[in-house]
Amino acid sequence: MTWLIWLVAAAVLLAAGFGVAFLPWWRAHDLRKRTTWSRARAAVDSASVSRDACRGAVPEAERLFARAESIAGERGGVKAAGMVADLAERADRLWREARR
Amino acid sequence: MTGVPRSGLVRWGSLGAAVLVLVVFLVAQRQSVDVSYGRSPTSSDPVKEGSAGELADVTVPSVEEMTAMVRADAVVRLPGSVARWDEAAVREVIGDARILVAPPGLDEAERKRVRDVEAAEIRVIGTDVTGGGLQATSTGLADWRIRFAQGDVTSLLVTLAAKLNDKPAAEDVDRFRWREPTAAELDPVVADLRAAGVHTGAGATLARVPKSAEAAFPDGALYVALPRQPFGEPVPQYGPALTALFPDRPVVVMYGDWIEYHGPRAEEFADVVGTSFYAQAADRIATYAYPQANVLHAYLNRVTDVRYAGLFDRPLPYLPLDPLRVALPALPWLFAACAVVFLVLSANSVRRGGTARAGTPARLAGLTALAIEVSALSSDPSLVRGMSKLRAAGDALAEDLPDAHVRTLLDDAAAELDTTAKALGRQDYRSDVYLRGRVA
Repeated sequence: MTWLIWLVAAAVLLAAGFGVAFLPWWRAHDLRKRTTWSRARAAVDSASVSRDACRGAVPEAERLFARAESIAGERGGVKAAGMVADLAERADRLWREARR
Repeated sequence: MTGVPRSGLVRWGSLGAAVLVLVVFLVAQRQSVDVSYGRSPTSSDPVKEGSAGELADVTVPSVEEMTAMVRADAVVRLPGSVARWDEAAVREVIGDARILVAPPGLDEAERKRVRDVEAAEIRVIGTDVTGGGLQATSTGLADWRIRFAQGDVTSLLVTLAAKLNDKPAAEDVDRFRWREPTAAELDPVVADLRAAGVHTGAGATLARVPKSAEAAFPDGALYVALPRQPFGEPVPQYGPALTALFPDRPVVVMYGDWIEYHGPRAEEFADVVGTSFYAQAADRIATYAYPQANVLHAYLNRVTDVRYAGLFDRPLPYLPLDPLRVALPALPWLFAACAVVFLVLSANSVRRGGTARAGTPARLAGLTALAIEVSALSSDPSLVRGMSKLRAAGDALAEDLPDAHVRTLLDDAAAELDTTAKALGRQDYRSDVYLRGRVA
């Protein structure tokens, strides 16, 4: 009986410690992921507007944008989102310069 | 509030308390109180058959010869046998069953020969009674007394026969009778005891008092050894007579293999020692022909064991009150309480707090208004990009994303709208100007 109490209490302590350490980390991780994806989506939208506005074809930008969209299609973590955002922003810049 | 908030103090304090309780508990596991009632100085080394002189100088005929003897007579008594019984009482229960009586002190091979005589329903080796795969056992001091003092196995035979014939066991009557010793019997005993403290009667095998006597009775005792008493006759009771003559001296009287103690504290431990000794040793004493010195040696060792067990004249050792031992049962509950407090407070501290927003939704609304207003005048891609950024900022707000991120998106949108204003050539549609004008 008392051994059971020790075990249960130790398990409770472990759970509390794990929760205290893990929950904030996991929450921050999740938030960073969603934030980066939000930035990536905004960049992709912006790039697609620039592409529609550009009259001539910019193969480099098309290539970058296609890659960004293919990565975005598979979803993924913070790294993938960051990559999508960078590629889309570079494509956006190329199209804007081509329009000027 | 300055410093550590109170709930944090309680939370980490409870964790520390839990660890402390656990450490105390674990350390307490190593503590043990060594209570000893003294180490009894007896030894119990394993012994080889025959090494204690328990084998007698007798032997038994071959199985065939014994079988022939059993076929010829209902009761066959081999030379040297000691078991006696009330013929009439036994015959009444036993019918015409054959009984083979062998002497005590046979070795393993000889006992096997006796057991192999299948014509005999009941075999008696020494005073050990077996038959039909059963063994008759004495169950009390009175049983052992008549069996070892006189070699009387009547009650064993009757019990075994009743069992073998599926009859209810007969009422057990103690057939042992005491009588007062005569003056002629008592005088030489008293004279020997006064001279040497030991009397060995004619036919007794006690050569000298065994060494274990010193530990059993440190102040000395008187020993009287008599041979096995004749069957069916009253036995002279020396104990009370001798204690009257030698008050306050322990008196040990042996009748054959039966040992009696009289003297100080007799009523307290004579029965305990006798019962525990014969309960353990009765089978060996019955089967073998131990010299009386060896039986007495074992008995005195048992007396020593009982004395050292502290059951009689030794007070229990003083045990001081140990607060840890009192608190120990409460420790797991304390530990559990600390764990629960820590869990609850931790859950409180981890609970999600809302993100602080300072003016961001207002700025989003203002920029959206500007974009809608400009959209009537322009269709520049920068305007479309700006609106998509505004939509992204709106989504981010709805998703409760960090304020900094929303602000970055709004900054991007404002820059795009500024580009549009520049393209239109309208300074008043620049975002900062427009927002300031709107607020004003």
